[in-house]
Parts: sequence; structure tokens; C-alpha cells
Amino acid sequence: MNAVEVRGLSRSFDGRDILSDVSFTVGHGEIFGYLGPNGAGKTTTIRILLGLLAPGAGEVRVLGRDLAVDDDARRRVGVLFENNGLADRMSAAGNLTYYAGLYGVDDPAERIDELLTLVDLADRKDDLVGTFSTGMKRKLGIARAILHRPEVVFLDEPSSGLDPGAQRMVRDLILELSRREEMTVFLNSHHLDEVQRICSTVAILAGGRIRAFDTVAHLTAASDRPTVTVALSGRDDRVRACEVARALPFVVGCDADGDTLHCTLAEPGATPDLVGALVGANFRIEEVRRSSRSLEEIYLEHVGRAEGGP
Amino acid sequence: MSTFRVIAVREMRLALRNRSILITAIIFAVWFPVMSAVGIAAAAGGDAAAVAGGIAAITLPVGVFMGYIFCADAFLREKRDGTIETLLCAPISLRRLWEGKAAGVAVPAYLMTLVSAAVTAATVAGLTGAPVAAEPLLLVHLAIVVPVWIAAAAGLIGAAQLALGMRENQILGFALIFGFIFLVAGLQQAVPGGPGISAATEAVLAAIGAALLALARFIAGKVTKERIVRTIP
Repeated sequence: MNAVEVRGLSRSFDGRDILSDVSFTVGHGEIFGYLGPNGAGKTTTIRILLGLLAPGAGEVRVLGRDLAVDDDARRRVGVLFENNGLADRMSAAGNLTYYAGLYGVDDPAERIDELLTLVDLADRKDDLVGTFSTGMKRKLGIARAILHRPEVVFLDEPSSGLDPGAQRMVRDLILELSRREEMTVFLNSHHLDEVQRICSTVAILAGGRIRAFDTVAHLTAASDRPTVTVALSGRDDRVRACEVARALPFVVGCDADGDTLHCTLAEPGATPDLVGALVGANFRIEEVRRSSRSLEEIYLEHVGRAEGGP
Repeated sequence: MSTFRVIAVREMRLALRNRSILITAIIFAVWFPVMSAVGIAAAAGGDAAAVAGGIAAITLPVGVFMGYIFCADAFLREKRDGTIETLLCAPISLRRLWEGKAAGVAVPAYLMTLVSAAVTAATVAGLTGAPVAAEPLLLVHLAIVVPVWIAAAAGLIGAAQLALGMRENQILGFALIFGFIFLVAGLQQAVPGGPGISAATEAVLAAIGAALLALARFIAGKVTKERIVRTIP
């Protein structure tokens, strides 16, 4: 059984399709990145998974349960929305104590101290949350979301509105929590760099449909048309080298940039043939590197396609 | 501690820490009774039953309005800030959440209404030169009728604030509160015995308050999480 299962999910609002036949699964212990442009339906998906909105069609399960009707199953799930779910007029400890009461946390004082130490807010325990910075509130929000030791935690844009330092802090915190608490993390994010660094699996949602769903390693490494970077000796004629490369049947494109060539191959296994052809044409090669695409490139490609781009 | 109590206690604490709402409530609890007491003292003279009737007549509208004031923090603010969405993910039913919040609103609203009644009585006593007698029917009114109406008002206004969008809340909030107050005034006039205090008046008011409380519970049961989430601004 997967931690999260979404099968054939569709939903429309006021006659406009937001989600169309969305399907994916998230395994136990994974950090899953759910990507998509604004309005793609990411938050709608999370709300349906959490039982806040009803699916138009299809089925969703979290830990095998339907959270819309199973009050008790929600005890095993944590959530952080953009607003953190905190009351400004209560202290950090007061906010956590409130949620500990709602979730029936055993020995809440000890757990609250442990989490406040983990998120580096132990010295602000009794301060009103209204006096906290955005980053501090986000850290406290994450502590609140995992207070009851959930098996799955949904984080909706946890780095939104944070400066780069705070984003890194949140990223490290998610990794630390995933490792320490062994929980499944469902991360809804716009920060592709963040997702590439911490997620094991991603799904890209655009135009209401899943455009890609795979492990980050596989998505970024595998490509139908891999790119190879070839560093030539400084004295070699790069323009002629490009012409030689372009003449090869398995090279679909080649650009020169300084001392290097960027060759796009028609097939993944053609790199040795390219190197052999260049060496055979008396070019001296200093380095050959297979380039993997960034998640950002893959994301923009899928979103561009969904929006009718090239 | 039960989740009901956890929610109710939290709402009471938040209400006591909201300076602007507290100031509004205190001003209303003092200003309105003082103004009303002048009229009560002039109309009733030294008649203890008439004074009790006057105090009873103003405590219901005051109590309902107090409920409205405290609802703004417990229901409307939570929705405006979006924090209600996090609460809806907790392992509690929507009805339990509504009950806890309504209770958390009703208790401080009731306490402020008692303060208001005490201020009215003290002002009338000061103006007439005679202490206000502890009429048994007035005590019944304050102990039973007033809390039931405050709970009904808090429950109905809270359910409406959860279900409606911000703009609808601005319009219908006022409609609801004035509807309540006109209903109270109308009932006090229509019940046999007139606006004064009587066993018949208290029985009718208590019965209608209980019916409104049941109506509030019924309406709250019809509000869905989807409705709440889709009307968050």
C-alpha cells in the first residue's frame, strides 16, 4: 500500500476543469515534489487529498483511507498551508499545546520542547507568534505540522515568501525531519531547485494533467536526446569541429561556446562515436562530459508543451 | 481534556487577548446600560418589578450583540486569515469545531453581559437612590434565558460566518444581528404581560432561545468543509 494514491482524479470549478484524470502514487518514506505553475491545481489536489474538497471524479487515498470521512485517520496526517495555521496572539508553546490537545499527543510538554529545540525556537517558546519573523513562523508551522508524529505530512509551498537563507533553513529542516521522523513528505512547491535537492520523486502538473511522474534521478538523467559537452584544445578550430560533428548522422545539433562544443545526440549511446569522429578528424579532446538536464529545464519543457509552446 | 474544551478554552484565551474586541465589548457593556438606565429609572421610578423588567429587556440585545462581537475573532478572523483550513484537517468533526468555538464565544459574551446588567442595576440604583432588588425572575432571566440566547446567537452567527464569503458576511452579519435584536424586542412586546418581566415572558423567551439554538445546530450541520474552504478570501 502506498502512502498516497490518486487515481483518475478530476475536478472542475464553475465549469472550468482544474484537474483532469490525474493519477500518481507516493511511496512510504518518500519526499515527493508536486510541481506546476500557478493555478495548475496543486493546492486543489492537496485539499482533495485532505478531504477539504470533494473529488469530481476518481479516487484518492492517504494511508489507504479517505480523509474526508475518516476523522480518526487525520490523526496520522500533518499539514502546513501557506498561513502556517498559527494564532499570532498566542505564544509558540501555546499554539503547539493547542494542536497537541486537538491531536491527543501524549506527554505534549516534552514533545513541544523537543520540536522547539529542533527548529531552533526554544528560547522564543513563550513569545507571542505575532512577534516572529516570516521564517520563524514557517519553522514553527512545520513543528506544528509534525507535532503528532504523522506518517504523512503535506507541505504547501513551505518556502514561499522566504529569503534564500530561510529557504535553505526550511529545506534542511524538511530533510532532517524526513530522516529523523521517517515520514512521507508531500511537497507542493514552485522552487525547482529546492525540489531537485530534496525530493526523490516528482510529478509535474500543467493544464490540469500530470505531464511527468518519475524519480528526480531518472527524469534529469534520462533523455531521448542527451547533450554531450566536449572540451577541445585551445588551438583547435571550433567552428570546423562543429561542422564535423553536425555532419554525423547521430548528431542533431552542435554549438560552440569558448573552447567547448555542446552536441545534442539523436540517441543516448552515440557518445563514443562522436568522440571517435572528432579524434579521427585530428581534434584534440581534453574532456567529454555527459550533461544531465536540470529539473527546471524539464519542468519548463513540460509546462511549455501543456501551454502550447514549442 | 476533550477537544470541545480544548477549542473553547483557546477561543476564550484569544478573546481576552484581543484588545480591540475587548475595548469594543467593554464600551458597549458600559455605555449602552448607562444610557438605558436613565430611561429605566425615569419610567420605573421606585417600582422594583419595573426596574427588573427594564434590566431584563436590555440584557438580551446586549448579550446577542456581545456574541456578535466575539464571533468576529473566533470565526471570521480565523477564516480571513485562512487558519481555519488547518483546523479543518485536525481529527475532529466540523460540528465539534463549531460547538467548541461557539462555546468559546458564548462564555466571554455572557460574562460581559452580566457586567452590563450589573452596571445597569448600579446606575439605576444611583439615579433612584434605592438599591435594585434581586427579583427571582430577573435571576432566572440572567441565569437561563440570556445564556441560551447568547449561545444561539453565537452559533448562528458563527455558522453563517463559516459558510459565507467575506462580502456576504459584511452584509448578512449586520442583517443577522439586527434581525436578532428586532426579534428580541418584538417578542418582549408581543408576549402577554408586555415588555416587563413575567413568568410567561421568560418561558416564551427561553423556549424560543432553545429553538434558535437547535436551529443553529441544524444549520451548522449543513455547512461543509468545501463551502468553508471555497469562501476563504
